[in-house]
Amino acid sequence: MTDEVYSDLMKELVEGKYVFTGELEPEKAGNVNEPIEMAKELLGLVVACNVTDNPQSFAYVSSLAASYKIQKETGMECVYQLRCADRNRMALLSDVLGAGTLGIKNILALAGDHVSLGDTPDAKPVFDLDSTTLIHMIRKVVDEGKDLAGNDIADPPKLHVGGAAAPGAAHLKAEVGKVRRKINAGVEYLQTQVVYYTDVLDKFFNELGKTDVPILVGIFPARTFGQADFFDKYVAGVDVPPDYLENMRATKQIKDKEKRKEEVDRVNIEFFTGFLEHLKGTPAAGCHMMAVGYPRIIAPLRKVME
Amino acid sequence: MIAQEQKPMEEILGYLEGKQKVVVMGCGGCATFYHTGDKKAVNEMAEKLTKEGKEVLAKIVMPLGMQACETDKCSIFLQKKRRAIENCDAIMVMSCGDGVQVVTEYTDEVMGIAKEVYPVNDPLGLMGGGPKKLKETCQSCGMCELGKTAGICPLTACGKGLMNGPCGGVREGDKCEIDPDKDCAWVKIYKRMEKLGTLDAFEQMRDPHEWSKMKRPRLFELEKPMGMKDMMGAMMNLNTIKGYTSLMFAKPPAEEEEAKKE
Repeated sequence: MTDEVYSDLMKELVEGKYVFTGELEPEKAGNVNEPIEMAKELLGLVVACNVTDNPQSFAYVSSLAASYKIQKETGMECVYQLRCADRNRMALLSDVLGAGTLGIKNILALAGDHVSLGDTPDAKPVFDLDSTTLIHMIRKVVDEGKDLAGNDIADPPKLHVGGAAAPGAAHLKAEVGKVRRKINAGVEYLQTQVVYYTDVLDKFFNELGKTDVPILVGIFPARTFGQADFFDKYVAGVDVPPDYLENMRATKQIKDKEKRKEEVDRVNIEFFTGFLEHLKGTPAAGCHMMAVGYPRIIAPLRKVME
Repeated sequence: MIAQEQKPMEEILGYLEGKQKVVVMGCGGCATFYHTGDKKAVNEMAEKLTKEGKEVLAKIVMPLGMQACETDKCSIFLQKKRRAIENCDAIMVMSCGDGVQVVTEYTDEVMGIAKEVYPVNDPLGLMGGGPKKLKETCQSCGMCELGKTAGICPLTACGKGLMNGPCGGVREGDKCEIDPDKDCAWVKIYKRMEKLGTLDAFEQMRDPHEWSKMKRPRLFELEKPMGMKDMMGAMMNLNTIKGYTSLMFAKPPAEEEEAKKE
């Protein structure tokens, strides 16, 4: 980690506070009105929000444009997600410099899902860099003022770079080897893919061993049964517990909208209270709450951790 | 060799709409190995086109070792059928894209005959393995990284071509995020490094690949081109392998295994 602290997220991590981050998803639209509304609701509940970059390879509003606009209009600090799937190293560098120019203070460097899994499957996948080399590039830009080719950068951007980890990966040792590689490349914090099982998390922390890099564990309280079901069926490396899935499915039967909402909240609070209680005993530095479009659940879940 | 498969007949006939007279040409290289441009394939294509009402002016069959993609060999066959080429509306080439383009360039620029030259096959890349199941393991990128990745090329074998993997999407059974029928290349690299005792290297970052070696189109100049005599000489070297002839005509190992099971 650099000694300099540029963002509120990094400040809290350095100070050793228990950190909460949220997630906002720009849509396939010509505006970011909805994530802006969500960001307003999350102010004060999370220190920063990730802004997704073409998640699951669905092409949405640019995460850089969205991060800038959300940060400017709401004051919510953004974690600009940047994936290698759609850009070569030149475009990645341009966007990193662009992020600095627009006052973005955190980047999450990702490889990204393959384009064939999304809504534009005939696109040419790029992957000129991968998450590790993108982390390396960003550190080189910020710390040395140089790009990968060794060209000088005037007034280099001041921002932090994070990376992802997948505790539920089918081959944990290879995954952890890759995470160590990111640590060697200078990643400043890690956010994990969604985890539902405490034993999956424990195995991951055990395999990784001690590290100075703070790790935020990803959870996904689903707003609807469909969201939870999508994760279970389509997101590699994530298994959703059958009991939770069944309880979520049962909420679909409730006709009254308000009562259904209450029941969804109850199911989530019940399930995640146990998970978050367990999290307290792990080396996690905080929790990344990927409650996309579901800001009302953050406050009651935060309470569990107090 | 370059794997290939024949295009759907509708597409082939689509090219020939409004055209009547054709020359059908095969290839004695990869297309013979893949049965997409050998003698049988050329005859079958000529028959199908005749049935569709086309007039096949000539069939050019190239024997094994005579590739459509090599001008010196290809030109002998094209010159021999000059009259048919002059009179045809289109030449249907049953090879990879290299063969198609050598035929285009030679007929147009050397023979002075500008005709439509259409591909019959779709090339699917350099493949190895076999005898039945083949896979793409090298993309001829110009800068081989195998020395850094335990002898498995992640640029080709990883669905995303990552120099630093695996990605977070490894499926049950160490399969690829994109296709559950394919192995995750990076888990394979991990397992091989484990066997070799080089897992320390797994945790070290590999630099981004140098794509500057792949500026297309790549050109190459052979200092000493291989002539027919050299080719024959090289084939004679096979005698140095003891029992080569019996190996040549033996059942492929996989077939033998299957036969045993039965």
